[in-house]
Amino acid sequence: MNNIEEILWNYIDGNCTTDEQKTISTLIEQDEVYRLKYQELLILNKEFTAIELDEPPMAFTYNVMEGIRAEHAQQPLKAAPNRRIIMGISIFFVLTLVCLLVYAFSNVDLSGVHIPVSVPAGLKMPDVNNHTIKSVIQGFFFMDVVLALFLFDAYLRNKKTAKQV
Amino acid sequence: MQSKLSDIELIEQTLSGNQSAYADLVKRHQRFVFTLAMRFAKGREDAEEIAQDCFIKAYRSLASFQRQSKFSTWLYSIVYTTAMTFLRKKRVDTDSIDDENTYIQVESQSSAYDVNNAENKSRSFYLNQAIEQLLPDDSAIITMFYKGEQSLEEIGQALGMEANTVKVKLFRARQRLKEKLERNLKHEAKELI
Repeated sequence: MNNIEEILWNYIDGNCTTDEQKTISTLIEQDEVYRLKYQELLILNKEFTAIELDEPPMAFTYNVMEGIRAEHAQQPLKAAPNRRIIMGISIFFVLTLVCLLVYAFSNVDLSGVHIPVSVPAGLKMPDVNNHTIKSVIQGFFFMDVVLALFLFDAYLRNKKTAKQV
Repeated sequence: MQSKLSDIELIEQTLSGNQSAYADLVKRHQRFVFTLAMRFAKGREDAEEIAQDCFIKAYRSLASFQRQSKFSTWLYSIVYTTAMTFLRKKRVDTDSIDDENTYIQVESQSSAYDVNNAENKSRSFYLNQAIEQLLPDDSAIITMFYKGEQSLEEIGQALGMEANTVKVKLFRARQRLKEKLERNLKHEAKELI
């Protein structure tokens, strides 16, 4: 019986070759068992086709889009740095640099140097051996390295995000 | 009058940054995805969670969709893997979902409930009830074949099986569904007498 059902389901689903289809059609016409089974399966097939789909909640699409937005909103925080922060850091370093230069020039003492050009009185060359200035310069370069690494990390993250999207 | 955009056109629009195009895609497929999720989860809340997760996952990997198959086939493969992961997690706390007894329990519970409403039920009600009593794989294959407009090859692609395996599984699933439908109807007829 199972074999008949299998043959007939294949016939109904259209998974038979043309020759097989002809043979089965003949069997349905001539054989009572095949004919009854075929009719039974046809009814079932019609019923299966009419299965009703479940209805998701009204806010389903909204919830999905909210989920996507939430995920999307989180990504830039990790992936792309805030421009204001970058600007703030840049301004901080520019100011530091200006302050350092002002401090350095204010401490320049060129009185001991014999330069043919007339040097304004009171102008001093910075004392590189001075420990305070040395540590300031080291600190400045250290911060520069940190900033460079931070920007490089931001660049790589941006690139990765662009690839994913 | 604007013609309905195809899935591929909506995907292209989504990839170029138009999120409302993805919302249209969700609206188009949500009923089927939710139904498929229901076949695995057997509860609306869990099904909703699975279905939502699927659409978010699909959005995340939309750029990797190769377009060699239908979008729906690709989406259903996500539903299947998400549902399987969900069930595996659930299995830690509950009985095996493959255990036929679990469904027999559900069956008898719903049968008891049916007695009170017997007069109002149509044959399609019993059919849906019978589908709920099937194993997740069986009901998913039947749903995909009859409602998802998927060929045996496409179902195979979505479920990670050979088309022939799907064919055999579909045949067995239909047999089981028929048996359960007959059993439910017989039970109902007895109750009415």
